[in-house]
Amino acid sequence: MSSAADRAAPPNRGPLVRFLVLLVIVAVVLYPLIWMIGTSVKSPQEIVSNIGLIPEKFTPGNFAEGWTKFDVSFGRFFLNSALVSLLTVLGNTISCLLAAYALGRLRFRLRGVWFAVMIGTLLLPGHVLIIPQYILFRTLGWVGGDWPYLPLLVPAFLATEAFFVFLIVQFMRGIPRELDEAAVIDGASPYGIFRHVILPLSRPALVTTAIFSFIWTWNDFFRQLVFLSELKDYTAPVALTLFIDSTSESAVGPMFAMSLLSLIPVFLFFVAFQRLLVEGINTSGLKG
Amino acid sequence: MTASTLTRDPAAPAAHRPGRRVRRRRENLAGYVFLSPWLLGLLGITAVPMLISLYLSFTDYSPLISLSDASWVGFDNYRRMFTADQSYWHAVTVTITFALVAVPLKLAAALGVALLLNRTMRGISVFRGLFYLPSLLGGSVALAIVWVSMFNREGAFNSFLALFGIEGLPWVNDPDWALYTLILLAVWQFGAPMVIFLAGLKQVPVELYEAASVDGASAWRKFAHITLPMLSPVIFFNLVLETINGFQGFTSAFVLSNGTGGPVDSTLMYTLNLYIKGFVELDMGYASAMAWVFLLVIGAITVLLFSTGRFWVHYSDNEER
Amino acid sequence: MEPITRGGTPAQRTTRRRLLAAALTVPLLLGAAACGGDDDASSGGKTELSIFWWGAEKRAELTDQALALYTQKHPDVTFKKTWQGNQGYFDKLATLTAGGNAPDIFQIDDNYISEYAGRGVTLDLTPYTQDGKLDVSKFPESLRKYGEVDGKLAGVAMGENTQGLVYNKTLLEKFKLPEPKTGMSWEEFINWAADVSKKAKLPGTQDASAVYQALWVFLRQNGKDLYAGKQLGFDEADMTKWFTLWKDARAKGATPTPDVIHEGNASDVSKQLIVTGKAGTSWVWTNQMPELKKNTEDELGLMAYPGDSKVQWARASLYFSAFRGSKHKDTAVDVINFLANDPEAAKILGTDRGLPPNTDIRKQIAATVTDPNMKQTIAVQDELGKQFGPNPPTVPPQGHSKVRSELVRVAEEVVYGRQTPEQAAAAYVAAAKAAIGAS
Repeated sequence: MSSAADRAAPPNRGPLVRFLVLLVIVAVVLYPLIWMIGTSVKSPQEIVSNIGLIPEKFTPGNFAEGWTKFDVSFGRFFLNSALVSLLTVLGNTISCLLAAYALGRLRFRLRGVWFAVMIGTLLLPGHVLIIPQYILFRTLGWVGGDWPYLPLLVPAFLATEAFFVFLIVQFMRGIPRELDEAAVIDGASPYGIFRHVILPLSRPALVTTAIFSFIWTWNDFFRQLVFLSELKDYTAPVALTLFIDSTSESAVGPMFAMSLLSLIPVFLFFVAFQRLLVEGINTSGLKG
Repeated sequence: MTASTLTRDPAAPAAHRPGRRVRRRRENLAGYVFLSPWLLGLLGITAVPMLISLYLSFTDYSPLISLSDASWVGFDNYRRMFTADQSYWHAVTVTITFALVAVPLKLAAALGVALLLNRTMRGISVFRGLFYLPSLLGGSVALAIVWVSMFNREGAFNSFLALFGIEGLPWVNDPDWALYTLILLAVWQFGAPMVIFLAGLKQVPVELYEAASVDGASAWRKFAHITLPMLSPVIFFNLVLETINGFQGFTSAFVLSNGTGGPVDSTLMYTLNLYIKGFVELDMGYASAMAWVFLLVIGAITVLLFSTGRFWVHYSDNEER
Repeated sequence: MEPITRGGTPAQRTTRRRLLAAALTVPLLLGAAACGGDDDASSGGKTELSIFWWGAEKRAELTDQALALYTQKHPDVTFKKTWQGNQGYFDKLATLTAGGNAPDIFQIDDNYISEYAGRGVTLDLTPYTQDGKLDVSKFPESLRKYGEVDGKLAGVAMGENTQGLVYNKTLLEKFKLPEPKTGMSWEEFINWAADVSKKAKLPGTQDASAVYQALWVFLRQNGKDLYAGKQLGFDEADMTKWFTLWKDARAKGATPTPDVIHEGNASDVSKQLIVTGKAGTSWVWTNQMPELKKNTEDELGLMAYPGDSKVQWARASLYFSAFRGSKHKDTAVDVINFLANDPEAAKILGTDRGLPPNTDIRKQIAATVTDPNMKQTIAVQDELGKQFGPNPPTVPPQGHSKVRSELVRVAEEVVYGRQTPEQAAAAYVAAAKAAIGAS
């Protein structure tokens, strides 16, 4: 990618300055995370009393303790989280793309109304929906069945996360309509346009959707807590709460250790997928 | 509410092609085909709980009783909210302060860093990942411990200030400042809008910059006349979403204050107040009423944003204006 | 909603509302009803009970073992166990209850037991105590009574505790300061704490103005109480006295700075100032002592709250309750009875949930406890237990959790210097009244 803005800056100094600026920002932004690493190797007494960066007594055992503390190994919780997150990604990208194509590109009756309703569903605070949802899903027989993740996954396949629909709509509106019109002249149907014009050009939006839905699902706590009731089905965020019972014991060190470990999969997912973002579509795509 | 920019059909196309009616009907059908999963989800999954909560907002309902035993109280919950509940208005003030300060700062940070990162440079993808790391922490308990330890009296932030001979305050534990530590936390987690900006920047055709360079445009002119307009749909999206998120901010306030909104209600965000009413005090009817008032107000703000969008958001699909 | 709320006569309106409610809820209820049906006998001899509690991993391990022992003795009964830390526990329990799907047996505390009992969620255990299926005869009377809501036994105490003041022995020894003693007056205690602050350069005590159980003791020592049935048991003058007591304590330097007081007001064991090293004493419950000890290297001492300790009482640290809608009520009650009274089960459970409620078993367990901190806890609790006076308080009414959180908020208003004790007292009485729906 050749950036014209780069050329405007004097040679050599620009990139270096930018690099240093980035380095400083990164250092500030990451300090709390580095602190977390320090805490994950502190002893229980130190966690409470020493809030410095460096532990006085290096306690790497927190990782092993956290991993094996429960009847089910923490690896199982990560696998459960990965399963739920990946399936949610799949559901969200497919279903939200379809809905966004309709709302963003096609002209049909009541489209404005549906779009408004879609935005409206974003606005109601989720806490008042949990109980009605629980009752509904239980009525449908999804709760506590053989497959405990149904209540978490089915909504994803039905595009209920309006955030992503809106996101993809906004991206699609950046795709010139001339492309559709050209395709129409070539005799393409709305399905053909979707397949040959929109789908290839929607990659940044889809990658963004994939990244967010993976991370949000990986970090989601309340819904997973409510719908999962057996230790072996717990996901990582739910399992993390097993370390802390503020009325009795808390294993803060192992909790920090596992919190850090649980960052790794999301970080890797992000790095892998953002590469798709970087490659972008701008040079090849727009010429259709 | 409606997105007026989207609802309006453009004037009839200049060229009147044969079979336009047929095409229209086909497109109408296709619209509903593509929309069908979402419609199914709306009618089957989203609408029922929403309507139940709307119904509950007119009742006295504790989750400990059956839905059918919720007793109808008319507009009592709404009346109480507007006339008798001081904590309600306090929470409204806290939330507005939070949204007004946090949203612009977060968007500015996200856009600034996204522009810095939108380059070909060795190791740039590592930087992108590192900037995104704070957002990955979400609202975990670990995060709360980290933040409190950074910003209490003996925290790292005060150690930093001490280098300059400044004596710090107990930020998180000071009712005058606690909300600002929460705002800082929101700004710190600028990863999500940053990624969306980055994706948007990728959509800007390089040809435009090249043409501008040929014309001898300065970097600033290119930013103002190419980047900003081309990015405006994405800026608009981030603005709408972050505004909604800002007003809905719950998790960080919850974990930082142990679910209380303290010290002395200084971080009592609207949705945290709503959660406390619904789940701690088990007054779910009242909480539902709070949620619906929230929907109406934020809906109005969103409509407002959409209507201003007409003046500054440039869509390549040429649908509006 | 418009046509429904406006049109028609009141009677028509009611009908329409009912119709609306029915339209919204009937399908759900039908579904829910379809899930419930068969009763105890009909499931072919095999019974699976769901049980839900909060706690740490240790508690899970012990409870698992005790339940396995039950299954061993009753092979036809198995358990579906769910446990988690306390964060989100009551949110989930409320959601399950709303869905008509509450666990057969669930753990609960005095914050919520009146709420659940008042809404008819808990099974009334009184009949079971009468026909001998549930034995609470070995419980201290005050402890048994503390499970009664509106005259019905709503929960069986699984542990006993009482107010305990924990102090840092190591600190006192280091600075050659006297240890505080049970029976000190509030004045004497605060002066002692001010002395500690001066000599040890560490605040002598956490400010207790936001600690509801300390206020409760103080009120009872003044012939008042936190509650009188479903009304408040105190007035503005009492609250003014309380807030002023602590305002003076702060003026004397007995307590930490406001921000530290706020930190210590979190109920978490790990945030108590005694373990974070920010004050010399913390206001806790006796059974939390061993857990506090794990978070600090200093030696800790335990005593009653200041003033006359006879007004303290045997409090249920938590209960097990059975769900009124359970399909296996009798079995559920039998399991609860087993956990509370079976010597083997009690031996497994130990003191994890508090001191065993059954006094016979408590003696047994006390003899085998090895943890010195738990030993001290048992000794202090036994000592205090002998003196507990008559008329222990009843279990707090609905709205108690709000009464507690409002106390923290209002007390901190005074601590941060935003309100005078008088203003705060008036604000608190009003807020507490509203919380419990009293007039």
